[in-house]
Amino acid sequence: MVVEQFEYREVLRQMTLRDLTLRYKQTVMGFGWAVLMPLVNTAVFSVIFTRVARLDVGMPYPLYAFCGLLAWNFFASALRFSVTSLTSNQILVSKIYFPREIFPISAVLVAVVDFAVALLPLAALMLYYRVPVGAPLLLLPVVVLVHVIFTTAIGLLLAMGNLFYRDVKYLFEVAITMWMFATSVLYPVQRVGGRIGALLGLNPMTGIIDAYRSVLLLNAWPSPTLAAAALVSTLLLAIAWFAFHRSEFAFAEHL
Amino acid sequence: MASPSVVVEHVWKKFRRGERHDTLRDLVPSLVRRAFGPRSASLRPEEFWALRDLSFTVSPGEALGVIGPNGAGKSTLLKMLSRILRPTSGRLALKGRVGSLIEVAAAFHPDLTGRENVYLQGAIMGMRRAEIARKFDDIVAFSGIEEFIDTPVKRYSSGMNARLGFSIAAHLDPDVLLVDEVLSVGDAGFQQQCVDRMRQLIARGTPVVFVSHNLPAVLQLCTRVMVVDHGTVLFDGQPAAGVAEYRRVPWARKAAAVERDARDVQIGRVQLLDEQREDAAVFAASSRLTVRIGYEARRPVRCHFAVDIYSADGVYCAGINSRMDRRDFGVLEGGGVVDLAFPRLALLPGCYVISVGILDAQGLGPLDVQHRAYPFSVASEERDLGVVHLERAWRHESYASVAAGASAAGGLE
Repeated sequence: MVVEQFEYREVLRQMTLRDLTLRYKQTVMGFGWAVLMPLVNTAVFSVIFTRVARLDVGMPYPLYAFCGLLAWNFFASALRFSVTSLTSNQILVSKIYFPREIFPISAVLVAVVDFAVALLPLAALMLYYRVPVGAPLLLLPVVVLVHVIFTTAIGLLLAMGNLFYRDVKYLFEVAITMWMFATSVLYPVQRVGGRIGALLGLNPMTGIIDAYRSVLLLNAWPSPTLAAAALVSTLLLAIAWFAFHRSEFAFAEHL
Repeated sequence: MASPSVVVEHVWKKFRRGERHDTLRDLVPSLVRRAFGPRSASLRPEEFWALRDLSFTVSPGEALGVIGPNGAGKSTLLKMLSRILRPTSGRLALKGRVGSLIEVAAAFHPDLTGRENVYLQGAIMGMRRAEIARKFDDIVAFSGIEEFIDTPVKRYSSGMNARLGFSIAAHLDPDVLLVDEVLSVGDAGFQQQCVDRMRQLIARGTPVVFVSHNLPAVLQLCTRVMVVDHGTVLFDGQPAAGVAEYRRVPWARKAAAVERDARDVQIGRVQLLDEQREDAAVFAASSRLTVRIGYEARRPVRCHFAVDIYSADGVYCAGINSRMDRRDFGVLEGGGVVDLAFPRLALLPGCYVISVGILDAQGLGPLDVQHRAYPFSVASEERDLGVVHLERAWRHESYASVAAGASAAGGLE
């Protein structure tokens, strides 16, 4: 099935291009939206956590929040596109064959492009705060890779789930909000103690987002939780892909 | 013969009737079952077989027409060949790149321009970018919408949409071509262009599976016909014989029977008989063909009989009626048959279809007509082109000796 992906790489390219072109055509701001939302959120939460309830995160809070929100935004928007990627391409799914994974995967790729664009204002912010960077930055591609693997795995499962049960789309919106507050996006969840804290420790997204902060903002090597997240992500992707592949012939019948 | 490009072996396909009432509570167990569980072959009450034990092969150079009533399983079969559905049991194998002409334009995105859609659609159909770029001009020229190629597809008419869609599919150069009723798109000129393109592919040896209700088109394009009903193959063989078989089965009759009730006279059973006076669908060229028309007269009537012969691509080859032949059958009452014999059938090899009619005493108004209802085909080694085999003789006379003689005579003076 991986060989097949390679054979159909042109479709993946064209589908991703299609979604990007469409966004650019239909909206005035185009990629601007990918930057604006995290910026606005950063501003809002910066006011809350520096003026209302002071939170010490060991670095300027806007930097902490913007980095977390960027990574989270990539995750959430990739999944939001993935959920409906099969159901909104009904005609293609029920009329023409090509590997169905292409839909959720291209949704993830579109989000990767947005993410890359949004890294520019982060770089500007890092310059402003004079953040030193060094060798750990070389690990950034590895962090992104783990992140993409994890996102793709969840995306495949959600796309498949929503095709069979349309409730998944609504459930997703609820779950993704809760998940954000269970991840070190706006505050370090490690400070949550007790049983809830232990539960939150199992969340691979925390490991991934903290790894971004390590290599980008702290000039430090990522903690071993990234390795654990990588392992979990790879395993999950294998399972998700296998399940997706096994049921893809049922897709056309269930649309 | 080359090994078959399409192999279908004992294929069964199960579908479910009615609405699904699954709730979210069933989500996880059913996903797990679907992904990891065995596929069961037994039938639950709400399930039915769309295809039962279907087996056939298609070899290079063959164009297989699949005909049958609605719900016979034709489209299910095509979807399985194009890998959208998977059989419940059995095996399908296709060699090489499969091209589908299945509602080709449906996948266009309205907000993208024609050009962008060509690249997207081409990729979806399995073309590489370089290949699309190379064929791009041909595709656009074939579609005939050059001036609108940079206009968003949402501004296209449905005809333009279909033309562009078909043009992309037509330039795919597939190893196996699947066609589902697409010849109904576009105007007559464009349809002819499509038929010509399919012919080209067939002539080149590309195996084709063509699902259609358009019997003349099937006769025109296919080298073999399969009649399918209730998910099983009723007939597989020579096109004219297949179409004849399809006509014989009750479903085709039903529709026609309704309107024929209170007529004075109506056409009964029509048979095409060969030299042995047996029902046949294939005739050797220059052999005897007899059209036997049964009639049923409720009241005593005077009438004439007419037979028209069309070639599969619609050329009107012959129109014969008993009034023009000054043949009078007298007053008909009750049942009977009229035979029209062609002692030496002068048609060239190919598929033909016969219309039969009973006309009034003046030979003008039709009392009962069956348009293009009885197909047959002619087989022979003839290499002529056209529709008719003309008796002929060649003779040669050279003026060279005369001219030589004249110049020799001139030299003498």
